[in-house]
Amino acid sequence: MTGELTPRAPRPLRSRKAPWVALVIALAVVVAVAALIVNLVEGSLYFYNADEAVEERSDIGDRRFTLQGSPIGCSIVEGFSGDEPVVAFSLSFGGASVDVVHHGDPAELFQADVPVVLDGAWVAQPPVVEGFTGIANDGWHFSSDRMRVKHDNDYINDDEYDERLTLSDAGADSTEVVCEA
Amino acid sequence: MSADAVNTGSRTTRLLGAAVLIGVLALILLGFFGAPEDDEQRDAVRMIFVHLPSAFGIYAAMATTAVGSVMWLWKRSRWWDIVAHSSAEIGVIFCGLTLFTGSVWGRPTWNTYWDWGDVRLVTTLILFLMLVGYLALRSAGGDENAMATRAAVVGLLAAVNVPIINRSVEWWSNRTLHQKSSLTDGNLEDLTLFTLFVGIVVWALFFVWAMIHRFRIGWLEHQLRDIDLETALIQRRAEAATESSGEESR
Repeated sequence: MTGELTPRAPRPLRSRKAPWVALVIALAVVVAVAALIVNLVEGSLYFYNADEAVEERSDIGDRRFTLQGSPIGCSIVEGFSGDEPVVAFSLSFGGASVDVVHHGDPAELFQADVPVVLDGAWVAQPPVVEGFTGIANDGWHFSSDRMRVKHDNDYINDDEYDERLTLSDAGADSTEVVCEA
Repeated sequence: MSADAVNTGSRTTRLLGAAVLIGVLALILLGFFGAPEDDEQRDAVRMIFVHLPSAFGIYAAMATTAVGSVMWLWKRSRWWDIVAHSSAEIGVIFCGLTLFTGSVWGRPTWNTYWDWGDVRLVTTLILFLMLVGYLALRSAGGDENAMATRAAVVGLLAAVNVPIINRSVEWWSNRTLHQKSSLTDGNLEDLTLFTLFVGIVVWALFFVWAMIHRFRIGWLEHQLRDIDLETALIQRRAEAATESSGEESR
């Protein structure tokens, strides 16, 4: 009998990693992905624009939230609160302005008209930083301790783009709020 | 087996490889010495020449994986299954590179390496983890066809994430630090745009080069499995013949 092919104990053809390792990795990945999706779906709104934050101030109360707006150039004042560096400025978005006191050093690219995203909370009193007179001046300020810069998708060099200077001079690229002398 | 039989290179891949190397050199020269700095970001803007082409690489890799996965599910073609697998592996590299370069770029510009609230960052991380899961599933072993089917489903689920990543800056404008599309809505200087174009072409060539090599490796592995099976059958038949002749002689 030459056609004997009775099944016998299988012999591994090639060595393979233990399947459970890969399955554990796959399971961990599933859990991580699910957690991230839940975080995205159920997480609170990432940031309030300045106009939304002012409008919903009573609902927000004193809880921490994230605020977005464009710093108004002439309002920026750097100073100290005790030994701690602070930067006070007003920002605007959607026609509303907010006075801000940021505790700590400002972001590297912090500058007028480049939107910032700040973590902090409303404080029901005017900002007290020497030399700073807020533009909002509504008896409130936003006390921030984390600053990120939200730059735009313009990748230009002002040395080579005269039109940007022209636009800037014309006020097309700046906020509508005008600082008093 | 001769050395030539296991070589995944060819004249085409060698030309492609040379073009990639020349392209990378051109990209470095243009990126560092040609394109001007940005008036806000200064030199940090040069990261765009790696970051954005890497993101495009993800799109290309995931589109290829999606097509390969659909074709496997539809035609049960091993060729397409290997295409999907190869592309997913390269997609992991592009995805990792995009996350890394984005993080490095984010520190001087956004003032943070990472932000969990940012929808584009988190969806890209989800894609990266899904691709890692895809590859883990691939290496789990078991029945080859069942594994290919499971991987195809995961590959398609991962591919669904790509348009979400791409459109996230439009759909959730209040949930991202990311700027809107640089190519379609942005304002780029001529040399910046040209350098970016060079970067995209170089990454595309790299993708094709890596795909050809990885596919050939996958195909060789597939052939090797067939050879292993045939060899095992021949050996078993020979053993069985020896056993039966021994019994007859007794």
